[in-house]
Amino acid sequence: MKRAFTALLIASLVLGHSAPAHAYLKFGVPIRGQQVTVKWAQTPVRYFVSDTGVPGVSAVDFQNAVGRAFATWQAVPTASITYQLAGVTSALPGSDDGSSVLGFRSRPDLDRVLASTSFLVDSTTGALIESDIFFNSAFQWSTAAAGETGRYDLESIALHEIGHFSGLGHSALGETEMISTGGRRVLSAEAVMFPIAFAPGSIAARTLKADDIAGISDLYPDGDFQTTDGSLSGSVTKDGQPLFGAHVVAFNPATGTMVAGFTLNAQGQFSIGGLSPGPYAVRVEPLDDADIDSFFSSAQTVDIDFRVAFFDRVVAVPKGGDSGQIALKVVHK
Amino acid sequence: MIRTAIVTFALSALCGWSAPVFAQADPPVSRLELGVGVRWIGTAPLGTQAANETTGAGAKSPLFSTTSELGGAAGIDGRVGVRLSHSFVAEIEGTYAKPELRIAVSADTEGAAPVTATETIQQFTVGGNLVWYLPLRQRSPRFAPFAIGGGGYLRQLHDSGTLVDTGSFYHVGGGVSTLLSSGGRWHTKGVGVRADVRAFIRTNGVAFDGGSKTSVAAGASVFVRF
Repeated sequence: MKRAFTALLIASLVLGHSAPAHAYLKFGVPIRGQQVTVKWAQTPVRYFVSDTGVPGVSAVDFQNAVGRAFATWQAVPTASITYQLAGVTSALPGSDDGSSVLGFRSRPDLDRVLASTSFLVDSTTGALIESDIFFNSAFQWSTAAAGETGRYDLESIALHEIGHFSGLGHSALGETEMISTGGRRVLSAEAVMFPIAFAPGSIAARTLKADDIAGISDLYPDGDFQTTDGSLSGSVTKDGQPLFGAHVVAFNPATGTMVAGFTLNAQGQFSIGGLSPGPYAVRVEPLDDADIDSFFSSAQTVDIDFRVAFFDRVVAVPKGGDSGQIALKVVHK
Repeated sequence: MIRTAIVTFALSALCGWSAPVFAQADPPVSRLELGVGVRWIGTAPLGTQAANETTGAGAKSPLFSTTSELGGAAGIDGRVGVRLSHSFVAEIEGTYAKPELRIAVSADTEGAAPVTATETIQQFTVGGNLVWYLPLRQRSPRFAPFAIGGGGYLRQLHDSGTLVDTGSFYHVGGGVSTLLSSGGRWHTKGVGVRADVRAFIRTNGVAFDGGSKTSVAAGASVFVRF
């Protein structure tokens, strides 16, 4: 659990989600009874960086590392979102002043939160007005090119937070294990948007994965993305009843990539967008019980009592269209 | 090696074509041949692929593994041939079959039972062949051994009917044909059967790594000569 603060925020935004979301999770807010995707209405998205550094990371180092992370998202060829550095500011992230600010703040009380993203959303349109990212200076940070033992890689964490900043929620493509001191340790992940950070010193999360790329492209499609890529959709049931909160993974055997989504409504339906056309193998799994708060509100009943399973049919994802509804059936553990 | 064989075959065909002795010494007794039959195209392995996640050290950690193949399938085969000379026939040939695409999933780290996911593909081919009736024919007039080579267009339609993979194919092989009767009614000049075996090389289409896949193909048909 990298960021309890972020997780709570995500949970509150996901609360009441009634429509299947493409890719992993996109933030949504209910407006006049309709679930509206939270995203920036105009680009380039302007952001300010704080003029304050921390031990091991100067203000310039910070600005450069954040700039590289923004550039990584902007370089996704199938997404249209762009970002622009508006300047350096002495303002702190977290103040609702209409300016998006990224910077350090000391929050020793949030002892499991490396960084978090907060939003100001237009409640009539769902458009983002402001998004701030704070990096917790209670932790040790590094911007070294090869990483630094005992310090968290700022660029990696910024890449994750900028995903939120852009409107993306968490991905569940990762494996964790319990650690003796409490909490969980990530063993592996295949999405920058996985909610738990790699150990200090790792720079493995500086590269976007297929799931991240599908998500940002689905949110901000560029050019002919919607006509060249496809989606895979269906429903998950257990004992004939729709299952909420199942994690569904689409695996492309041609590329070896995975893109995932969730069942997000009372009918147990899911839709995974941003997929390259081709045949897919489909896997359905329960969320790790420790991860649920990172994805769903505690008010929502997520069913994790079922076995991991694969669909027994190859699913063809067409160019610019949908696979057609597939029916995944799972059984109790 | 296969490409070399095709080139060699093509060159020999051209040399033979340009030699007037065949055409003048033994003019073709029939110009047109229609054939219909069955063709089996063997399994094409599509490789293995792991669903990897990345560790903090940047290493790969497989979540599960897949092994894929396009199964062998028998289908229908039709062709039209035009005799160019005593020894050479040019053909247009089409086939239709419904092979099964199989993705076998195993070694799931969370203990999911192994599954072979399947899908039926509708596969169409259309292409051209050059058939060379070997001189050995003189030894046994009823049986005519031949070498065959050709290539063409491959179209594979997935189960849903919404996804199409296209590619090309080449083949080289040999077989034998025999006339069951000669002369006949309705302007026919003979009825016979033909069988062949080929090395069938598919490029693209349902090919996860984008490479060429070689499999064995065999066919048998009935033909009518006009």
